[in-house]
Amino acid sequence: MGDIRQSLLPRDVLSAAKELLYHLDIYICNLVQSGRQPPQVDSKTLDLIEEFILHAPKDRNAPARRMSALQELQLLEIMCSCFQEQSRDTVRQLMFSALFGLQGNAADESRMALLGKLVSMAVAMGRVPILECAATWLQRTHRVYCVRLAQVLVDDYCSMVPGSVPTLQNIHSASPRFCCQFITAVTTLYDLTTEELTPPIELLQMIVSWIQEDPRLVLITFLNTPLTGSQPINSLDVTPLGGLVRWCVKAPLAYKTDKKQTPTHERSENVPEVGPLFSTLHLSVLQVLMLLPNILNEKGLFGRMGLLQLDSLAALTSELSRLLDQADKHAHASDAHAAPQLALDRLAQALQVAKANGALLCSRGRNLEAVLFLFRPSRLGKVESKIKTVKMRKMLVKHASKLYPHFCIISVFSRINYFDFHSSNNVLLIHKLLEHCKQLVFLLLLNKSVC
Amino acid sequence: MSAQKDCEFLVKKARELVSVDSCAAKAWLITARTLYPTDFNIQYEMYTIERNAERTAPAGRLLYDMFINFPDQPIVWREIGVITAALRSDSQDKHAQFLRGLFETLPGRVQCEMLLKATEQCFNTLEKAEMLLLLLKRFPESVVQHGLSLGETLLDAEASENVDTPVNCFRKLFVCDVLPLIINNMDIRLPASLMQKYILKAAEFYIGYVTRGPSADGQLQGSQDSGNLKSPSMSRGSQRYVIDGLSEKSSLVADPWERLLELLAVVGVRCEWQGDKGQRSFVDMLQRMKELCRYLPGLDGETRSRYCSQVVICGALTLFRSAFLYVSAVQPALFQGHGASSGPWILVEDLSSVYSDVDLDKGPVKHAQKKRKQADGREKTMSSDDEEGLGKGRGRHILVSKTEMPNWSETLEGFRAARESWDLLHSHDALEAEFKKICASWKTDSWLWFRIFLTDMIVFQGQYRKALSSLHQMSAVQQHQPGQQSPSGQGSLEHHRVLIQQASCHYALGEYRIFMVFDWIWMQTSTVPQEPVFFFSLLPGNDLRLLPCTNKAVLPFCFQLMLACFKLRAFADNRDDLSLGHVVVLLQYDWPQGEMLFLKSVDKIYHQGSFQYENFFNYVTNIDMLEEFAYLRTPEGGRIQLELLPNQGMLIKHHTVTRGITKGVKEDFRLAMERQVSRCGENLLSVLHRFCINEKIIIIQSLP
Repeated sequence: MGDIRQSLLPRDVLSAAKELLYHLDIYICNLVQSGRQPPQVDSKTLDLIEEFILHAPKDRNAPARRMSALQELQLLEIMCSCFQEQSRDTVRQLMFSALFGLQGNAADESRMALLGKLVSMAVAMGRVPILECAATWLQRTHRVYCVRLAQVLVDDYCSMVPGSVPTLQNIHSASPRFCCQFITAVTTLYDLTTEELTPPIELLQMIVSWIQEDPRLVLITFLNTPLTGSQPINSLDVTPLGGLVRWCVKAPLAYKTDKKQTPTHERSENVPEVGPLFSTLHLSVLQVLMLLPNILNEKGLFGRMGLLQLDSLAALTSELSRLLDQADKHAHASDAHAAPQLALDRLAQALQVAKANGALLCSRGRNLEAVLFLFRPSRLGKVESKIKTVKMRKMLVKHASKLYPHFCIISVFSRINYFDFHSSNNVLLIHKLLEHCKQLVFLLLLNKSVC
Repeated sequence: MSAQKDCEFLVKKARELVSVDSCAAKAWLITARTLYPTDFNIQYEMYTIERNAERTAPAGRLLYDMFINFPDQPIVWREIGVITAALRSDSQDKHAQFLRGLFETLPGRVQCEMLLKATEQCFNTLEKAEMLLLLLKRFPESVVQHGLSLGETLLDAEASENVDTPVNCFRKLFVCDVLPLIINNMDIRLPASLMQKYILKAAEFYIGYVTRGPSADGQLQGSQDSGNLKSPSMSRGSQRYVIDGLSEKSSLVADPWERLLELLAVVGVRCEWQGDKGQRSFVDMLQRMKELCRYLPGLDGETRSRYCSQVVICGALTLFRSAFLYVSAVQPALFQGHGASSGPWILVEDLSSVYSDVDLDKGPVKHAQKKRKQADGREKTMSSDDEEGLGKGRGRHILVSKTEMPNWSETLEGFRAARESWDLLHSHDALEAEFKKICASWKTDSWLWFRIFLTDMIVFQGQYRKALSSLHQMSAVQQHQPGQQSPSGQGSLEHHRVLIQQASCHYALGEYRIFMVFDWIWMQTSTVPQEPVFFFSLLPGNDLRLLPCTNKAVLPFCFQLMLACFKLRAFADNRDDLSLGHVVVLLQYDWPQGEMLFLKSVDKIYHQGSFQYENFFNYVTNIDMLEEFAYLRTPEGGRIQLELLPNQGMLIKHHTVTRGITKGVKEDFRLAMERQVSRCGENLLSVLHRFCINEKIIIIQSLP
């Protein structure tokens, strides 16, 4: 195919790109028909793509050929119809990865730029084949790039053009696979650490409505992925569950700080409360987890594959402890305990339900009753002697940390909060306890093998 | 122990959160459920949340879980009780609909099991039956197992509860709901005798239902929308009627006759009835029964008895259905209360020929007298349904005003079909015996509406003596009818109908004891009904007539009846001025219809040379008649001596002693005539009405 370069060179940028696409189509068709396994596009072809479609500079001396915005739009349209008209799935997939599979070279930037525009266009025009290819791309590509693609779509549909959210909303019905990958990417992108990394409310609403309507949506990729076992390294999680749990757990504390920065009366205008949205989302997550045993059993994976990763949960607990620290500092308001409490409740619930339904694999310990035991304020309230309480707590922490290293942390947090709620005299004790927890967290992070 | 408390704690927490954040509450419960999968309270709390939010699908799933995992929890059973109650009820409120929807989300197997278990826990027969019925309707395969026993349970319950009417809740469930399921299920083997028993139970119910009296509610309702009732059975739906123990909706039976016919068709097929490939209509059925009857004498043994029961059942149903058609037209108030579109109609002798010439008129009367003898003789020796009576019935026509009775043809057709069915049922001893058994078990003797038909049938057959005794019985039955059945207005109309019909019968028997018409006329003074009252008119050997029974119509009939009676004496060979005077008074009505008779009267007076009728100036206001009488006195008219003023006879005697006698008399007569001419504009009806009231005694005395 390399020999067509000479015929492409004299042409103008658009017709050269068109011509190349045309030849690429034929080339891949032949490739598939030849039955060679695995079908692989040769490097010369990839070079041609970089030169005539992505316009990456071949070498420093050669002048970079550039397309005008209009030409680029025309090219995108041609690509759209090219994918739309190609009836064979394999050919489409090969072509898509030939065009947009990252090569780890300088052309990747142009590749990402063009991909972003193409997918955005496909969303707008409801081009299902492209969305399907993009879903596969999102499964195979490093998460950093996946997140970038998600960012483009969020920017295009949630931030740049007001009122265009419904267009994005449609991807749910157009391509559930893409939708699922998009959610995973978005939850990876927005980790609620800063205000920029907080999802726009429109996006949040959209995701909540998607999952509420069809909880199985978040499992689509998992359900459709053949279990070859080898996930590409650093690709996105197979489900957005981990990201969603993180959202729900961190939301009470993350949005809490957010709230303080903006005057309340401005926020309340036109913008719906995020609280109920996260509450709904959290319930949906638990409901999805409840669906898992049947699915895992069907696949013969129950107890063998956890959909929630322990290390990401460990990361979450440490983030949470940081947020709790901050919350503690601002704990002047009367309802100061409510947000941390909610965060801890959600984490505990998610962990318990995930574990019970086989989404979280723990090598030790069969149930979390001990954890839940610690959630009970009434029981703590009954203990009269402070010393006794402290003793008991220490004992419990010690005991629990052995058995359930992850959960004991949470339980300790929650205890602090309940304790806080019940007797404000114990602030000092709590701080001590918190210190103890932090140590535990560090210990845990350093020594993941405990689990 | 501690686990128990943890559960309670979690449930309590969820309960606190429900109103604030139901999602959070549910999240807690999901967590709790994974911790304590065997704890009932957690699952029940989850269910409660979904149920209170009326979310059908999740609530259904949770109920299903509870039913599977905690089948022994009383709370689950209480919940199932509430749901099955909603299934049985016809309440349209949102919650009941939700509960029904909830039940629908459950898998069929669970529904079936739930209903069966719920039935077991039911102690009230009716509820139990309704529950089992839900099961049978949903799961036809369960009919084989439970259908028959449910049917028998209902019939037993009816017997043991001592209900006094076949239209009761047990029978309704049996006939309308259970029976169709049983009878249409070919996997259930049913002996013919049982099926016959069932179809008779069904027939008794449907007939009782259709012919039930108007309820208090129904009357109110009926009076509002009685405007255009197409047929009596159509109006059923508009009336609110509740069978004791059932809801209003399930008390309603749509198209009772059609449903009975459907049942009959199935029974016919299953009993292998002759030539019975699905009954199309009651009319077809009668025709077929007539044909079957012809073979009957040639059969014996089992075939004969099978033919017999077929003919009796089909014949009886045709009879009651047709009789109902007839009576509901003739006596709509019986079934529709005050909402009835028309008042009763009366079957009486036709007297329209009363104005015809005397010579012609004497014929039928003589004939009637002759027939009376026959009738009397017959009563001694034969049963009411002898061939002769039937023979008389044939060839008679019933005249009816088509404008006043729009559904006249159906009515008369019903009357005819009912009579023919009756005849059919009495054409063989075996049939009659069977039919009498049915009548006895249904107590048809106490059915007022059926007695009305029977009476009219007897009248039609010309058995007036029997008709009179039947009418006596009927008025006795009416007096014993409960108050609500015939409220005052209706009751008196009923009474009038009987009176007039009695008078008519007496007249037909040539007994002329028609004084009861005066009772009626007298009653009209106190309550003058403006509603039309109708009656049949029938003259022996002549056509019958159906007339509206208003004052406007019944009064003329009474005049005609009296006229017919007085005519006999007035034109007899012996002189009877009083009767002749009455005739003249009565002839004023419908003038000049009776002109011929009047001229005949004048002729008679002319030949007598004198005429005495002191009421003349009180009641004769017809100018033509006055003129004629004035002329009679003149020399040209024959100088007839007319004593038309009260006590004129005395005056004449008095005048003979003095001079110028005739002059004074003449003067009185002239003055009376002059005064009378000024009265010509008076309302004739009220004049004649006054005549009947004031002269009642003298009239009755002078009846032949």
